[in-house]
Amino acid sequence: MNIEELELPRQTHEIFNILARGHFISSNGTKDGMNRLYEILSDPQNYEKLQSYFSVLKYKIEKANNYFYFSKTNEPPSITEKKLETFEKYIDIVDLFGSLDNKITIGSRFRPSEIAEECSANVRLKQKLNKIPLYRSENFLNKIREIAGMLARDSFLELEDEQTETYKVLDAYSYLLEVINAITIFGQPPASEHSIPSNSDIDININPN
Amino acid sequence: MSNHRILNRIVLINIANVKYTDIELNGNTCFVGANNYGKTSLQRAILFFYSANSRSLGISSSQKPFEEHYFRFDNSYILYEVTTETSPFFIMVYRHNKLVFRFVDSEYSPDFFFNENNEALKFREVLANLDKKNIFYSNQIDTFEKYRNILYGTETDLKLNKFFLLRGNEKYQNIPKSITNVFLSSKNSIDSRFIKDFIASAISNDSDAIILEKIERQLRQFSEKYQDIESFLKKETQQLIEFAEHKYDQVQILKNSQIEAAEKLGATLKYADTQHNILLNTLQEKEKHLQQIKEDYEALRYSIEERQKDLREQIGFYDGMIREAQRKLEIYKEKDIDTLLNKYQEKQKLESQLQVLQKEYETLTSDVQNIEVQYQSLLNNIQNEIHSVTNKINAQITEIINHYNELILLQKEEQAKRESTLKQQLQTTLFSINNEVHQKQIELGQFKSEEKISSNIQPYEKEIKQLELEITEIKTKIYTSKSELAIQQNQVETLQKEWQNIEKQLQQKFELASQSIQSKIEQLKKEILLIDKKLNIQENALYGFLEKNIPNWHLTFGKILDENILFKNDLNPQLMSSSNNTIFGIQIDLNQLQIVSKSIEQYQTEKIQKLNEIKNLENQFLQEQQKLQNEKLLNADKYGKQIAEIKEDIKVILYAIELAEKKEKKRLIELEEWKSKAAKETDTSLQFIREKIVIIEEELAILKKRKQITETENETQIQNTIAKSQQQIQHLKQQQQQEIEQLEVQRKNTIKELKEKEEKLLAEKQNIFQNKGVDNKKISEIQKQISSIQQQLQEINQYQNIISDYLKDKRDLFDNIPIYKQKKEEYITENKNILQQLEEETKKYKLTISEIQKQRKEIEDTLSQFNQGIFFFQNNLKETPVYKHYAPIIENAEPKPSNYNITDLCTQLLKNESYFNEEYTQFQRYINEFAGKFRLDNHFGFFIKHDASFNDYEKFAQNLRNFINENRIEVSITETSALATMIIDSVAIKIKELSGQKDKIQHIVSLLAEDFKKAEFEESKLIEYIKIRIEESDNKIYKLLKKIQEFRDEHGIFFNDGLFNTNNEAPKKTLSLQIIRMLDQLRSAIQEQEQQEIKLQDLFELKFNIKEGLNETGWTHRIDSIGSTGTDILVKAIIYITLLHVFIKESSVKTNKKFKVHCIIDEVGQISAHYLKELLRFAKSRNIVMINGLPNKSGLESHYKYTYQFKKEEDSSVRVFPSIITEVEV
Repeated sequence: MNIEELELPRQTHEIFNILARGHFISSNGTKDGMNRLYEILSDPQNYEKLQSYFSVLKYKIEKANNYFYFSKTNEPPSITEKKLETFEKYIDIVDLFGSLDNKITIGSRFRPSEIAEECSANVRLKQKLNKIPLYRSENFLNKIREIAGMLARDSFLELEDEQTETYKVLDAYSYLLEVINAITIFGQPPASEHSIPSNSDIDININPN
Repeated sequence: MSNHRILNRIVLINIANVKYTDIELNGNTCFVGANNYGKTSLQRAILFFYSANSRSLGISSSQKPFEEHYFRFDNSYILYEVTTETSPFFIMVYRHNKLVFRFVDSEYSPDFFFNENNEALKFREVLANLDKKNIFYSNQIDTFEKYRNILYGTETDLKLNKFFLLRGNEKYQNIPKSITNVFLSSKNSIDSRFIKDFIASAISNDSDAIILEKIERQLRQFSEKYQDIESFLKKETQQLIEFAEHKYDQVQILKNSQIEAAEKLGATLKYADTQHNILLNTLQEKEKHLQQIKEDYEALRYSIEERQKDLREQIGFYDGMIREAQRKLEIYKEKDIDTLLNKYQEKQKLESQLQVLQKEYETLTSDVQNIEVQYQSLLNNIQNEIHSVTNKINAQITEIINHYNELILLQKEEQAKRESTLKQQLQTTLFSINNEVHQKQIELGQFKSEEKISSNIQPYEKEIKQLELEITEIKTKIYTSKSELAIQQNQVETLQKEWQNIEKQLQQKFELASQSIQSKIEQLKKEILLIDKKLNIQENALYGFLEKNIPNWHLTFGKILDENILFKNDLNPQLMSSSNNTIFGIQIDLNQLQIVSKSIEQYQTEKIQKLNEIKNLENQFLQEQQKLQNEKLLNADKYGKQIAEIKEDIKVILYAIELAEKKEKKRLIELEEWKSKAAKETDTSLQFIREKIVIIEEELAILKKRKQITETENETQIQNTIAKSQQQIQHLKQQQQQEIEQLEVQRKNTIKELKEKEEKLLAEKQNIFQNKGVDNKKISEIQKQISSIQQQLQEINQYQNIISDYLKDKRDLFDNIPIYKQKKEEYITENKNILQQLEEETKKYKLTISEIQKQRKEIEDTLSQFNQGIFFFQNNLKETPVYKHYAPIIENAEPKPSNYNITDLCTQLLKNESYFNEEYTQFQRYINEFAGKFRLDNHFGFFIKHDASFNDYEKFAQNLRNFINENRIEVSITETSALATMIIDSVAIKIKELSGQKDKIQHIVSLLAEDFKKAEFEESKLIEYIKIRIEESDNKIYKLLKKIQEFRDEHGIFFNDGLFNTNNEAPKKTLSLQIIRMLDQLRSAIQEQEQQEIKLQDLFELKFNIKEGLNETGWTHRIDSIGSTGTDILVKAIIYITLLHVFIKESSVKTNKKFKVHCIIDEVGQISAHYLKELLRFAKSRNIVMINGLPNKSGLESHYKYTYQFKKEEDSSVRVFPSIITEVEV
């Protein structure tokens, strides 16, 4: 198929800009018309056209449960490994989020202050939070803010209401869970010794930059 | 009297800072005065005459309102005098709470308003003055609208319809608007946009504008609602709802089961607590009772055994007596006691016979008595000796007999003793065996009865019966629920059908109404077209000719003319000499005819009426539409709610059925468990009993055999001893016989010797007697008889002892045998009875004991179970979060016995809690994911906080369920569709309304263009031409609105079922998507453009091309500068005048009554005299009189007919006075 003949959706550029940064397009995202972009990608015709279009750039659109992302074809294992390293920080975060009284799951809405409050009231959570290496470490609230900001930057969360500082967990968060679940740690975990099983069907998306 | 109508003068009495002024306006007028002297205020007062709108006079909001600034006193008046073809009239404006008007049919005179002291009168006094002078004045006109209607000649009231300035048509409002706009815009630069605004505002109202903020708000609402609904309708969302609902049910079931278990646990714990002491006491009581029963039984047994012993002794005694009697009887029988007794009975007879014989003998021997005595003595001696020998031997025999008898007796006694011992032994053995047998038989009976009881009495019968009852109840409940479900489902179907029918009916009704309205509108439009056609052609038709040339033709000639003839334009009417109201020379009585022709005003009115009718019909259509929507919403609300309620009930019923079925299943399993447990227990207990029975029966058989053997052995032993004893007795008897025989032989020999001796003596005696003559024969016979009797007596005496013994025995023993037997029988019976009693008592005792022991065991089991349970609870549950979770339920439960034990309940709680937590986590996950699909402030209220509790999640799920059951999404869709329809309709209607006026704009612009062409600029050569043209609007928002309107016109209303049609193939879906996209674009455009409203001026672009001297602007929107400022003012003024002229022309009816209006342009000071002259001439040629303001005298004022100067007095009042200047004729 000739690219000129594809009649690409007019949001193609926007889609590329998001996905090429290693971000996700989630169905429950509302900022910057993300749900609209998801709808466009969900349309089988659009999907096919965009897939063909991006394949020229050696990108492959991966369709997962309610979210899309890019994977690179023929990526060298060293890069995959590097990508995996970036997951190290997420493991502790996901662990922390999963240990809260009300677990953070897809669609959950929370304010960093709520989580910080819970962490300061719970020794176990406090320890988990302290384990996460962060730049700003003055207090729990700032730490959680930093975590939320980082996840939002990576399009796993969305700052839904700036006034109330309410974050929403996007569908892409399940990508984190799936990848972390697929990681098998051998022995006592030295910082970077983790790998994914060879038969894993998870395509690593995180940009190692 | 004037040849035209015009505002002739304005008189201000106590208005603002002016105490009194009278200004003539019947020609170009100029006000000269410095700033803030009241020039503009005066111009506003003039403008008010035309606009009668105190709010569009250009008074800023920071200034006092017109009413308050101008009319400060009760006697403040503005008076407008209007000249007419006949006599002038004036209008008085004063404040009576609000501004009011009165038309006075008279020329203005100060006398009406002032008293002799030159003080202004109050309005009542003024009216009184007018009354005095018999001058007609109108009622108080208190609305601006009515005032304008009168002034612009559209008033139908005959009393007032003469007070007009001009005859306006339905667009007459454009005249005051235009005059106002000129006044208000005169300071602005020339911009086509301004002209556009001018034209647009002249022909449209503020209310015609489309307020974008409102549309944007509506669009935002729609977009948000649409987004919410779309999110809801998505397949994934629906799937999530299904999952969440399913999980919710599971969580609910688990929660209920946990609560139930917690309640049971609480109840059982409390029960165990309350029962502990009770059970211990009961146990002690049972123990005591058991002891008591044992003691009672032992006592009874002891007494019975003691009695038994007595009875046995008695039986033995009587038995011994009977045996003794029988033995003696046997002995006596052997001695032939009967014969002996018979002989003994003859003893006395024999003794009497002996006495008789002895007396006879004595008598016979009395003679030989001595001899007799002698011999007798010898014989007696021999006899005695015989007796003695006999006795001696008898004694010896008796002794031997006695001795042997004794020996035999001893032997027999010994034998009896042995026999008795053996029998005793046998009896003891038999008694023990019998006892054992008896015992076993009791046991057997007991086990048999237990077997019977066990086979008849089902274990756990209570539980099984309770479960069976519960299952029956559940089944009944399921059955009832299912029938109820069927009824409810039928009801839902019926309601849905009813709803659909009503919807159909409503739609049909609406379509009918809509068709009827549309056809009416079409009809009216046609009629309006006809009227328009007539009005457009009337000038060149016979009608126009008649209007111009024949006064009151409607009353004469018009009566016989057909309307078609009147509007024919090819009739070439010519005014010939009057022929006294004849028609081709024929005169008819016209009074008999009705006036059929209509005046222009009537046509205008008719047209206005029809337009109003169309408006009304359109409103009616909208109302119908709204009504339809409302009714649909009402129906959706009514039926939706009903259906939702029923559906909720159905859900509840379904849930109840599901629960009941689950419960039934559970109960059935429990029942089966109980039954199998019972069967197992029955089997176990029966097996045990049966085994026991078999063992006992075997034991009984052994005992019987043992008894038999013992009896046989005993019998043999007895027989052996008897035989041995018999032998010994026989031997003793033989010895006895031998000894007796020896003695008998001895006796026989001795007696024989003695007998021989006796015979010798007797022979000697007889010889002596014979010798003495005694009858020896006789004596010998007697002696023989005596001897025989004596022998017999001797023999009888021999048996004397036996007989006496016998008689004694008979008296003591034999006669008592029946009594002994009876006694023995009685004792045996009694013994039997007490044995039976003992047996029964033993049986009873054993049963009671076993029952109590069973009860005790049960209590002990229960107690141990309670203790174990409490221990388990304390160690395994009390400290867990599960307990904390259910603590209130457990702690507040009422003590109640239950089939479950505490350990089981604790285990169930712990086990289920982890399952519950798993399910709850999943449930939470689904709810979070579902809520996350929606906006934070979605209109469904689907929002869950991070720190939401279980109750919050539960509430969320319940709300979601209610939402689905009540089909609120349908209501939301209907509302959203209605909102979309409303937005689109309102956009379409407004755009249509505005677009409808576009034609007018086109018309006006073409008129303007024409008027510009007509302008005689050539004379001064100052302005070569002013060209104007209209172009398509490039307003993005308008374009989108237009697109929406076109779409609406093309496709009509389709949202009711198409907005969220899930069928992507449906053509309506594509249309929906198109329109939704358009609405979306519109919203974005509104947000981007930041435009407040879409007015008529946004519908088109206006461009000018002005050539002044050598300068040509080219086609442009804005003309910044054509030449000098003066030129700019001139061009602007020319354009304004043209506009005013065109609008007046367009908005008034052409009649034979001429009029002039004023064009008020302030600040024309910078215009050159030459240009001013040109301008005034330009205005004059268009029947427009100029009113201008000048800051100071500069010579320009000389071009005006009237010039007024303004001066501030010391008391800060303003005096307006005419300047004496000769007008230079324009």
